[in-house]
Amino acid sequence: MKEKKNGMKRVPGLILCLFLMIFTTGAWAQQRAITGIVTDANGQPMPGVSVVVKGTTTGTVTNAQGNFSLTVPTNAQTLQFSFVGMRMQEVPIGEQTTFKVELEEESIGLQEVVAIGYGSVKKSVLTGAISSVQMETLQPVATQRVDQMLQGRAAGVLVLNTDGSPGGNTTIRIRGMNSIQGGNNALIVVDGFQGGDLSALNPRDIASIEILKDASATAIYGAQGANGVVLIETKRGRTDKPVINISSEYGVSNILMGGIELMNAADYAREQNRYEMANNFENNPIPIFTEAEISEFERTGGTNWVDEVYRTGKTQTHQISLSGRTDRLNYFTSGSVYDQEGIMLNSGYTRYSLRANLIADVTEWVKFNLNWDVTQQDRSGPQFGAQLDWPGNPVLGALQFAPTLPVYDENGEYTRPSQRYGEPILWNPVASALESLNENERTTNNVNIYLDFTILDGLTLRLGGGARFSDYNVRRFLNNKTHLGLQDNGQGYSFYSKGKNYQSSNVLNYTKDIGEHHINAILVGEIKYDNSYYFEVNNRDFTVHETSVYNLGGANIQRTGSGYSERKINSAVTRVNYGYADKYILAASYRADGSSVFGANNKWAYFPSVSAGWRLSNEPFMSDYGFISNLMIRASWGKTGNQAIGTYQTLARIGGNGEYPWDGGSGTNLGFQISSASNPNLKWETTTQTNIGLDLALFRSRLRITTEYYDKVTDDLLMSRELPRTTGLSSIIDNVGSMGNKGWEFTVDGDINIRNLSWTTGISLTASETTVLDLGADEYLAYTAGGSGHSVNIPFMFLTPGEPFGQIMGFGYEGTWNLGEEAEAARYGQMPGDPRYTDVNNDGRIDYDNDFMVIGNALPDFIFGINNQFKLHNWELTFLWQGTYGNDLFNVARIRRESTREGYSVAKLNRWTPENQNTDVPALHTAQYRHDYREAWDAAHPDNPLVSTITFPAAGSQALSRWVEDASYIRLKNLTLAYNVPVTRYVSNLRIFASGTNLLTFTKYSGFDPEVSSYTDTDGRLGTDYNNYPPSRFFNFGVDVTF
Amino acid sequence: MRKRNIFLKLIFILSMGLVMVTSCDLVELEEDPKSFISPEGFFNTPAQIESILAGTMRRSYNNWGGYSYQPGFHRHSDQNNGGNLVITQNYGAGIWALHWNNIKDINHAIKAINNGNLANSPANIQDELMGQLKFLRAWNYFQLVRHWGGVPIITEETEDYFSYLPSRASVAEVYDLIESDLLEAIQKLPVDWGALEGRPARDAAKGMLAKVYVTMATAPLNETSNYVKAAAMAKEVIDAGKYRLVENIEDVFSMETEYGPEMMWSFNANDQHRSTDPRVWSAVHGWGDYSADRFWVDSVYPEQPRKYEYLEIYSRDGVHHDSLGRGIGINKYLYDTWENFARGVTTVNMPIIRYADVLLIFAEADNMANGSPTQAAVDAINLVIDRANGYEPNPEYPLLTTNMSRDEFDMAVINERSYELCFEYDRWTDMLRKRIIPDVVRDFYLVNFSEADYLYPIPESDVRLNPNMEQNPGYGN
Repeated sequence: MKEKKNGMKRVPGLILCLFLMIFTTGAWAQQRAITGIVTDANGQPMPGVSVVVKGTTTGTVTNAQGNFSLTVPTNAQTLQFSFVGMRMQEVPIGEQTTFKVELEEESIGLQEVVAIGYGSVKKSVLTGAISSVQMETLQPVATQRVDQMLQGRAAGVLVLNTDGSPGGNTTIRIRGMNSIQGGNNALIVVDGFQGGDLSALNPRDIASIEILKDASATAIYGAQGANGVVLIETKRGRTDKPVINISSEYGVSNILMGGIELMNAADYAREQNRYEMANNFENNPIPIFTEAEISEFERTGGTNWVDEVYRTGKTQTHQISLSGRTDRLNYFTSGSVYDQEGIMLNSGYTRYSLRANLIADVTEWVKFNLNWDVTQQDRSGPQFGAQLDWPGNPVLGALQFAPTLPVYDENGEYTRPSQRYGEPILWNPVASALESLNENERTTNNVNIYLDFTILDGLTLRLGGGARFSDYNVRRFLNNKTHLGLQDNGQGYSFYSKGKNYQSSNVLNYTKDIGEHHINAILVGEIKYDNSYYFEVNNRDFTVHETSVYNLGGANIQRTGSGYSERKINSAVTRVNYGYADKYILAASYRADGSSVFGANNKWAYFPSVSAGWRLSNEPFMSDYGFISNLMIRASWGKTGNQAIGTYQTLARIGGNGEYPWDGGSGTNLGFQISSASNPNLKWETTTQTNIGLDLALFRSRLRITTEYYDKVTDDLLMSRELPRTTGLSSIIDNVGSMGNKGWEFTVDGDINIRNLSWTTGISLTASETTVLDLGADEYLAYTAGGSGHSVNIPFMFLTPGEPFGQIMGFGYEGTWNLGEEAEAARYGQMPGDPRYTDVNNDGRIDYDNDFMVIGNALPDFIFGINNQFKLHNWELTFLWQGTYGNDLFNVARIRRESTREGYSVAKLNRWTPENQNTDVPALHTAQYRHDYREAWDAAHPDNPLVSTITFPAAGSQALSRWVEDASYIRLKNLTLAYNVPVTRYVSNLRIFASGTNLLTFTKYSGFDPEVSSYTDTDGRLGTDYNNYPPSRFFNFGVDVTF
Repeated sequence: MRKRNIFLKLIFILSMGLVMVTSCDLVELEEDPKSFISPEGFFNTPAQIESILAGTMRRSYNNWGGYSYQPGFHRHSDQNNGGNLVITQNYGAGIWALHWNNIKDINHAIKAINNGNLANSPANIQDELMGQLKFLRAWNYFQLVRHWGGVPIITEETEDYFSYLPSRASVAEVYDLIESDLLEAIQKLPVDWGALEGRPARDAAKGMLAKVYVTMATAPLNETSNYVKAAAMAKEVIDAGKYRLVENIEDVFSMETEYGPEMMWSFNANDQHRSTDPRVWSAVHGWGDYSADRFWVDSVYPEQPRKYEYLEIYSRDGVHHDSLGRGIGINKYLYDTWENFARGVTTVNMPIIRYADVLLIFAEADNMANGSPTQAAVDAINLVIDRANGYEPNPEYPLLTTNMSRDEFDMAVINERSYELCFEYDRWTDMLRKRIIPDVVRDFYLVNFSEADYLYPIPESDVRLNPNMEQNPGYGN
């Protein structure tokens, strides 16, 4: 057995390098030292307060105890203390060397600046529905991934885990689904560059995350804005004094088994005997296991495949950053390493990232801005779920491979399944996990360069743009010890792609305050250009296996492929915000987008929005209600688009059609076909959204409530419009149908201080409902999501006009027929103990045409998150509860676990017997018993003979409500305890923390994880659990030092 | 001073802006794909036309969904375990779709040749291509008409995919097209392809046409005049001598005999394109997705060496399937190596037309045309039976004689077809054209029988999307 190569060894070296880099940056001059402490009105120390010598860039920030020390020029006059949400305070320096400063809260925390796309505005003139994720409450939490940071922390944001693998995918939905085929992924904008990748970001580089939700916020992104926008700004230097921050975390992780319980080997052996002996009609079966063998299993316990396939995972994270500012230069640089060894053998993920953010004052009126970052992500591990054929899936195998078999046979080879019992083609899961090589490497290189010109007071022009270059390489090899590798005598695959994304955004911005009037207007011209090229090699039948994917030339059957695509978007945008006395606010925006991917007759589209806000709390008549610090009502309307459709989809094309030995023999002939027809009229999906919002802040803004109601309708849905098959095609992409989506969002934030204890809480709650309004000529759209090998290879996810999105359909399963119901059961050819199906039209038959019904829905009624942070002296306790309510999962993975022949879920032991009738597990009647029962019944009831009238579709006999489970859950997602060590002369901040992730889960769901969704290619397939990599529980310990 | 400053700024900024806009093609939004071409740019070389031939057969012999997985299409014959005559609304929809997909590609290719796209190629190359295309189109329509009845006749490329809503033609009209396509194919196909043994040669087209004629002579057309044509066409194949029976029954299905002398045209497979996982055929060692009906095997199929060659009655270790508690698999398609079986792969071919079929077509047609079995008809069928018996006398299933009535002999031929051609997509179509479903299926499935079973339903999608598409009787609309 080969050991996984260990990436951790490389880490210390990297840190050393970073240290060397930093300590050569040198010393700074000393003049006059002052120190002090900053507290709030209650005497609580305030960390993070900016302390600056007025008129200079000399400054620092307070540490966790609210202390600061600063060296100031001898001629310095005044210190400025500022903090978000607090009123800025100026203190004369005089001869004092120690200061005690108390900051007062801003009456309403509205001087904050919020990024809104192509600029930012004061929060006080904001009319859109925007959630700001508080980075401050996130910072102490050990999260390595930005997408997971969003979970439970912002109203309207749903985060689904596709799987639990290291570096695995998540699906993020902002305000539900708008599209069926066009994709529902939010636009990610990092430092102004559109189309970013959350997984490539180091969370500690992030200064702020804003989630744009309503049309007034997203219409500025036009054809890319329909699914919401996540705006991310990375950090800048904050103080004159260079700040060095170093942190390290170590952690362990273990498999979360959720609701899965398996029999031990002895019980499994007894089950197999029972099954074998039941086949006794005209047969004389003999037991598979003797009593002696069973008691031996009782003694040894057999093989625990879960223990064999999974291990304790390890994670570590190290990061270092250096930031600060000088007269003309503001800088932030960082480097980080995240290394995870997954819980499954042979799986792991490593991310290296480097960043440099610079702002240089070129002249008084020109600023140069640079954001550069490079990320390397290496992901490895066996394939699982729908990525491969089911027998070779180690996740399935670990729960399904016979515990009566050892991992290795007497020759040291991997055991093969018994041909006498269990599933004869299931593959040894340890072999599946260890012998497959699957490496994914992704390198992304982002550069943003802007020149900011100040033309006149208030009039600025930003010229520039960015580029991202990404390289992606997959290397895969399955040798003869794997299921598919044996079939093909070795399968080798290599994929390489190079993607280039360019964006040039030029923004003219005018901001002016004239008395009580505030005006902000922008004009944007933008061009985006992307191209990507891929090349792949797919070889099999290897003469030499040892060289694996590193010598693909050793294969006898070689296939290659390549492709190229280009995409362009040209846009013009304008937006005007107007505010009067922070009381009456109006905003409007307009965007024109031209995109190459749409039909020749519909290249351009236009997206307007308007919004208005009224801050009642600024009205004189509200002055009596002093406890209301802010009350504002907002409304917005606008249109956004979705152009998420592949390139060249509007063109007719000749495509490959496989290979076939038309000539006979061992040669091959390439097949070609007309694979699609053209549709020059294809255009964008348009989402029209209305939003009404209310912001309320009470008790000097200690309690803040935001509630939003939205109503969205998406028209011209991009869909495969089904064609009569006589055309020779099954579908063509067209704009048909519409979908509606409405919902409520509540956010409550509060700060409570009791003596030394401060408590910050954030609660978010989202209720939404997505309805399919129209599908054109289609009566429904149906999706297969059950994968192979589970008898659910028919569509069971349905979208039907007038019904909610995410309907799961199948046959109703009502448990078993019981004693006393013989006659009723006989109508269907069943007997007591047999499954009882719902006969919708009560015609005595169970058939697809009449009895296929709605058996669940994949979308939650509401989702919620509760975030709390307690601080007492130097201690901090942060925790996040998060969950969903009202969603179902089709637990495909359970079908085999409970199958009569091979499963060994303990649930099977609860099967029907005359003594145990209250169960949904059918009886295991012997064949002889069935025969005798049938003979006797038919003789006694010639009018109601026992003939089966149950006709399930051949491939879909398990599309049953039996496997559909309530997946509502509440989870203690994260708990972090931190201790801030009192400050010393050289260290301005030292934190030690311990944290746990996925600590507690309350759910009825019986699979690994209620958060899973195995298929995410289209949202029509959300809501199935198909043997994906299971989730982990993490424990981390870390240290964070700031110099 | 201040004004000058602003002026300078503007000049600088404008020149920056100019640099950005100069790359003018960024503003061009027309798409210009580089990695594929449109149909207008294709069908211009013999190799491109050939890729259409290969592509359509690749689609037809698709694993799991296509003809390589029989349960999806021929489940309800009396040979099949589990065939209960409950023909669901969308049964066979995948096969329906693939035939129309094939016809679309073939029609484009035919039109291209007619348009002179290959004018620079020699005439014989053009003829050979046209012969293969017409042969293939005939086969596709033959499959459609037998299972769905009179279908639309589409011989041109579809111009507008959105509004093309064809109506159904009559069964006779479809057969007219099939006949004329095959006659042209016979004209243009070479007698022998040499090393290109997988392609249909002239006699394969003749054999196919004989099968078409004998089908036309029976239900639903019942144009009995076609018996003469069928017999004549089959006789041409027999007399030509290019094909013959494999001598020993155990060699009929083997790697060595995949392309002759008996096999005339088949679904082909090899390592680049394999057939569906062989475990679907084995009830003893595999999954038995497609297994033989126990009653048919035990009580209908005569005892003879052939039975044990074509059906999986014993395991590979010689254990009877019943003692293993397993069903009866289809041994015909298990002739690839055991090693490959254990790996779950196979490259077996599946015959579409073979010499034994032609002999039996001749026997059937000749008997029906003459009103009683002629010596030639008896000889033809006896060649097949004798081989099945291992060239030994078999009192349980003796050779036939001329001493039989027309109908007795006809029934004997149909039965022999069932045994010899079992699981080759022939039994169900024989049951259809001879209208014998209620005579041969298990008694307890009779409750599910109706005359509607003689056609499959037009798939739901086509009825729903095409108002001109009439549903077959008995399937609602």
